[in-house]
Amino acid sequence: MTSGDRPFRWRLWLALLAAVLTAVAIAHPRVPFERNVFRYFFVIDITQSMNVRDYHVTGQPADRLGFVKQTLAEALFELPCGSEVGLGLFTTRNAELLFEPLEICEHLPIITDVLSHIDWRMAWAADSYIATGLYNALRQVGQRKPATRLVFLSDGQQTPDEAITPPFMGKAGEVKGVVVGVGGSQPMLVPKLDRENRQTGYWENADLTAPEDRTPTQQFEAQAIPETPPSGFYLSRLHEDHLKRLAASTGLDYLRLNSAEDLRHALRSDHYAEPQRVQVDLAPLLAGLAWLLLIASYWHTPRLRRPAVAR
Amino acid sequence: MTNVGFAMPWLLLAALSALIPWLASGQRPLRYSSLTVAPTDRVSTLIDRTVRLSASLGLIALVVAVAGPYRREQTVERLGFGAEIVLLIDRSSSMNESFVGRYLGGAARETKGAVAREILTDFVTRRKDDLFAVVAFSAAPIYVLPLTQDRGAVSAAVRSSTERGHGITNIGSGLAMALDFFEGRRKGGARIILLVSDGAARIEEETRERLHQGFSGTDARLYWIYLRNRTGVHLDAPPENPGESTTPEYFLHQFFQTLGSPYRAYEAENADALRRAVADIEALENDPLPYLEKIPRQDLSTYGYVAALVFLLPLLASRALEVDRWRF
Repeated sequence: MTSGDRPFRWRLWLALLAAVLTAVAIAHPRVPFERNVFRYFFVIDITQSMNVRDYHVTGQPADRLGFVKQTLAEALFELPCGSEVGLGLFTTRNAELLFEPLEICEHLPIITDVLSHIDWRMAWAADSYIATGLYNALRQVGQRKPATRLVFLSDGQQTPDEAITPPFMGKAGEVKGVVVGVGGSQPMLVPKLDRENRQTGYWENADLTAPEDRTPTQQFEAQAIPETPPSGFYLSRLHEDHLKRLAASTGLDYLRLNSAEDLRHALRSDHYAEPQRVQVDLAPLLAGLAWLLLIASYWHTPRLRRPAVAR
Repeated sequence: MTNVGFAMPWLLLAALSALIPWLASGQRPLRYSSLTVAPTDRVSTLIDRTVRLSASLGLIALVVAVAGPYRREQTVERLGFGAEIVLLIDRSSSMNESFVGRYLGGAARETKGAVAREILTDFVTRRKDDLFAVVAFSAAPIYVLPLTQDRGAVSAAVRSSTERGHGITNIGSGLAMALDFFEGRRKGGARIILLVSDGAARIEEETRERLHQGFSGTDARLYWIYLRNRTGVHLDAPPENPGESTTPEYFLHQFFQTLGSPYRAYEAENADALRRAVADIEALENDPLPYLEKIPRQDLSTYGYVAALVFLLPLLASRALEVDRWRF
């Protein structure tokens, strides 16, 4: 009996190969692999115009801030493990960062808890100078690890009005990210809420007084601004042009927040990704291959029962 | 078995492939003149069934292993020594000045806030058993973190800060929010509010009443680390021209002493004094504290691979011994 006599026993060899692959899988061999992760700082506008209820999406909150929180929570869920997320708030001229970016999979429960507690009542002042706030957020994000992206969520509602947008002194595009426009384009009433979150009416123009902390230049400019009509309700809409201009001058992208899907999609864009080297376990791949080989080894074999009549 | 989950449960559908060994023999057919004359051999049938069964189980084991079985993260309650600590951190503008004096060498980044952050981060990482929450305050209190054991999150919150603070110092509402964390919570271990600020402001009468109730209702203790400027007010010595607007710190200290719950203030003029204050608190606060230890999720796929390999052996043996022609 020589080996030349017998046909090639491929079923045996396939099974043997499958067994070898399985044995290797037990050792969990790992290879370095590059995958995309993200590091985001979300800065959320919490001024009172964010309480305007102009979203009409089933199953989502109607107010701008609520909508932001809900869609953001959904989008975070979709970020790959290894991504990091930090949260911050914006009112007046500053971004207040709550915590440094945290790895998303390990810390998701706490990140979503903090997100759900973000509230307009945390605002340390009621004014909002969008441009200054955005520049401030950009500067702070720029001081952090490279490849940290800024996501600035705001309705662009400036209170009080500024005739001249202050120029951006940083380098456009140095910090990547996206300005997310929140709200609808129809001017809407701004609910006036008390500290217990009960609505007591709507903001009227007469309620708004000129800010006391104007610099001499601003006071000078103020003379040039047509005064807000002192009567009637104070209305708020998404100032998309303003936000788009700001995004363009700072090298950020612009996205209008219409659905959680849009946000999810934008946040997973390769444009913001950072390659991260991870060790990938090859075991599932090897075992999957072993499984295929085993199945293949049954190819074209009869069921083998005792036939009723032998041929 | 609810403790076991799969990373990719849908892959388990592929376990249907276990039927294949029962539908196909996996052997090469041989011609034989008349099978009907061959007797039924029970041992052969048994061997055939065994090989099929183990091949079948081998396929299942492979599929189960690839689907990524894991034991879920478990939490076990243990008794440690520690406390529930709410860090109440002042983020108003004055925290960005440096301690006056030679202690810090004048480096720009070493502001009071930076030093306090560094020392607090050390504190948080050292205290393994404690629960921490973080509240920041300036004009309004900001809910930063709930009581948690997530050490990484706590130090991420302590480290984070704005380069320039803003607004007024509204201690009263910050304290009220800190007390809220203890409200309606099963008590375990000491409850501490650790106020870190470098100044104070008047607390309104209404808020004072609320704080009185809050402290007695929750049994919380208050520690105030007062980052004093060299020119600042001393807490214990009555200032020369007392007034709630000019020397609010002195009056706040007086008010805290009336709270009826354990209270201690530390005047820290420099990094060393701050370190000593934190060490002091650390030594004081070691009550028994039930805490939850997390046993991280554990990968179980190796068991699947080992089982698969074992189940493949009979198939290998049978195929190795397979005859390809009749030899008599």
